[in-house]
Amino acid sequence: MRFDNRTRPSRRQVLAGSAAAAAALAAPAVVRAQAKTIKIAVVLPRSGLFAAAGQSCHRGALAAPKVLADLGYAVELVHVDFESNVDVARTQTERAIADGAQAVVGAFESGATLAMAQVCEQRQVPLSINIASVPQLTEQGYKYLVRNFQTNAQLVSGGLELIKVLMGATGVQFKNAVFVHANDTFGTAQRAAMDRLFPAAQMPFPLLESIAYDPKAQDLAVEVTKIRALAPELVLVTTRSSDAIKLVRDMVRQRFEPKAIISPGSPGLYDEEFYQALGPLSDFHLFNLPWANPKSAVTQALAASYKVANPTNRFEVDCFNAGFTFEAIMVVADAFKRAGTADGPTLMKAVKATDIAEHVMTGGPIRFDEKGQNNNIQAAVVQNRNRTPTVVLPPDVAVAAPVVPMPAWQGRS
Amino acid sequence: MISLWRDMNRRGQVTVALAFVLLLFAPVAATRYVLSVLTLILYFVYVGQAWNLMMGYAGQLSLGHALYVGLGGYVSAALWVHFGIGPWLGVFPAVGIAAAFGAAIGWLGFRFGIEGVYFALLTIAFAEFTRIGFDHIGFVGGAGGLFIPYEQSRLGEWWNLRGSQLFFYYLAFCLAVLAVLLTALLARSRLGYQWLAIREDETAARALGIDVFWAKMKAVLISSSMTAIGGVFYAFYYNSLFPAQLFDMSRSIELILGPIVGGLGTVFGPVVGAFILTPVGELLISLTEKAGINAPGAKAIFFGLILMTIIYLVPTGVWPWLSQRLGFTRRRS
Repeated sequence: MRFDNRTRPSRRQVLAGSAAAAAALAAPAVVRAQAKTIKIAVVLPRSGLFAAAGQSCHRGALAAPKVLADLGYAVELVHVDFESNVDVARTQTERAIADGAQAVVGAFESGATLAMAQVCEQRQVPLSINIASVPQLTEQGYKYLVRNFQTNAQLVSGGLELIKVLMGATGVQFKNAVFVHANDTFGTAQRAAMDRLFPAAQMPFPLLESIAYDPKAQDLAVEVTKIRALAPELVLVTTRSSDAIKLVRDMVRQRFEPKAIISPGSPGLYDEEFYQALGPLSDFHLFNLPWANPKSAVTQALAASYKVANPTNRFEVDCFNAGFTFEAIMVVADAFKRAGTADGPTLMKAVKATDIAEHVMTGGPIRFDEKGQNNNIQAAVVQNRNRTPTVVLPPDVAVAAPVVPMPAWQGRS
Repeated sequence: MISLWRDMNRRGQVTVALAFVLLLFAPVAATRYVLSVLTLILYFVYVGQAWNLMMGYAGQLSLGHALYVGLGGYVSAALWVHFGIGPWLGVFPAVGIAAAFGAAIGWLGFRFGIEGVYFALLTIAFAEFTRIGFDHIGFVGGAGGLFIPYEQSRLGEWWNLRGSQLFFYYLAFCLAVLAVLLTALLARSRLGYQWLAIREDETAARALGIDVFWAKMKAVLISSSMTAIGGVFYAFYYNSLFPAQLFDMSRSIELILGPIVGGLGTVFGPVVGAFILTPVGELLISLTEKAGINAPGAKAIFFGLILMTIIYLVPTGVWPWLSQRLGFTRRRS
């Protein structure tokens, strides 16, 4: 076939045709970037070593879409299990992004979060961290990462400050304390923070000793004997749930009754298995952690949605993991709504400009500094009452008064 | 190496050459996700091959090989973080220290006749106490971990192993190819035959005049050194190291599954094993997700079932069966 002057397309027609073809080819990307719903990959350790915590976070993610929809946000969540394995975390993040995820939320565990952060950085996809406390996450210059969670140091210093508040509110003075911690990654990091921050916090009592234990030990009888010999009035603990159970059991066996057992920023004392295993002995333990604000309307909405999504679990027990996971998703959803696009750099700019006043966890508005860290999170004093974590301080969020000294082990029901 | 090539018939040679070319040019067509999976596969080919030398050829069961990955990773990362010594230099002390640990284990085991499962227990014990030790060494971050700063501006500094996914893919590719070549070379060397003799019957090997102690020591030294290089790769690929993750026994198991499934004591066994296990794992995640199976750990169950099926059907490994079925080797008259 030969073009003559009549049939040969003009330069203008060629240009217009090319533009139309380019537009058609680029359409999926444009449509995706301007879609009304943002696709978020929620990457969590739902099996393996961190399964219990990962599933707890997952339950929060399951409850999130309904609450966010009521708040005017539209999200599509893709749930990814990274099996508590760094290799899987990295490859699955790559896969999720390849499958169209426009933001990533995760990952509870710091090592995996770092592996994901590298992928997100290279792909220019925002990563909203739900829980991970190593300071390096926000100290290494990642541009596509924000953390709505406290660092180890913030957890400990916030926890110590609240002990002073507790003493002031109850009028109970502790003469001395012992710090007992698991010698795992989290426990050792907490110990380092405690060594550094306890003297600086100018606590009104001395720290007699720090005692490390192996969380895999069959029992903690030796450690409890050591603590008992020091006769502290306050026992500060950094535990996971299984070793917290062993610790309390051995204290009861050895009839060691301090005035209070307080976790200045660690899990263990509020896990369902802790309540199931110890029954009444699980009551009156205290933990100073950022917690779901029971007076917030968003918390109440999340609790209601959580109940529907997870009928066999309790929001009050899960709310730490569930709440932070919800907020991490909310940060992305809010940024997407403001940005009006899921284009990575623009969305990240909106994420960095986050300012959410009404949210779930205790503390001020969710805002990020230039490194991507939210420094407005504040811890609360939470006490186990009738096998339920109950916020007892500070007064503006408390729903009950703290009970210190804790009642004797014997005679509890 | 040449004899290995000659041992294969035309079909085998074409298959191996094709696989090499495909992997060499894989980044042209592969997505980033596929590339990250391939990187992982090639890493497992490399460390699996290192373990294969010790167990598959010399017959010494090590269940604590994660020790060398950890030592290699930690030494190179610490040198980089604290002294600014790049990994291409840092790899030498990393290998040296891992080899020293290997030598200590080997000497204890072989000098005092600790064999079989007891030797395996010794390797586990070393990995475990090293993990506990590293939990308390503040210089490398203790249990809180050691982090290699990730600086976007340094991406592309290949001499400092600061590269993109593509860079790490080719690095893993080179390591895997070199490991296969080294294994092929050693398998047909005097030392390789000594290892085989020891593996089959140590007493008979000794009676033949083989210095069993030194032959086994060489296996441990080579294997630990190779694995330590894998550790350097791991450290700079992930940029974070935690004793609980790196020295854990699950890491050692992960590392030895490939050679076991692929075929112990064969050059291509660890390659085939890694190319089966990692993609199967990824595929199962994808399938369980697409099937809407919202049961964490379901993948692990299916993975276990597949493993059991493979081991039941081809107990000597996939590669020997495959090469026989497809007629990759020349028939000897």
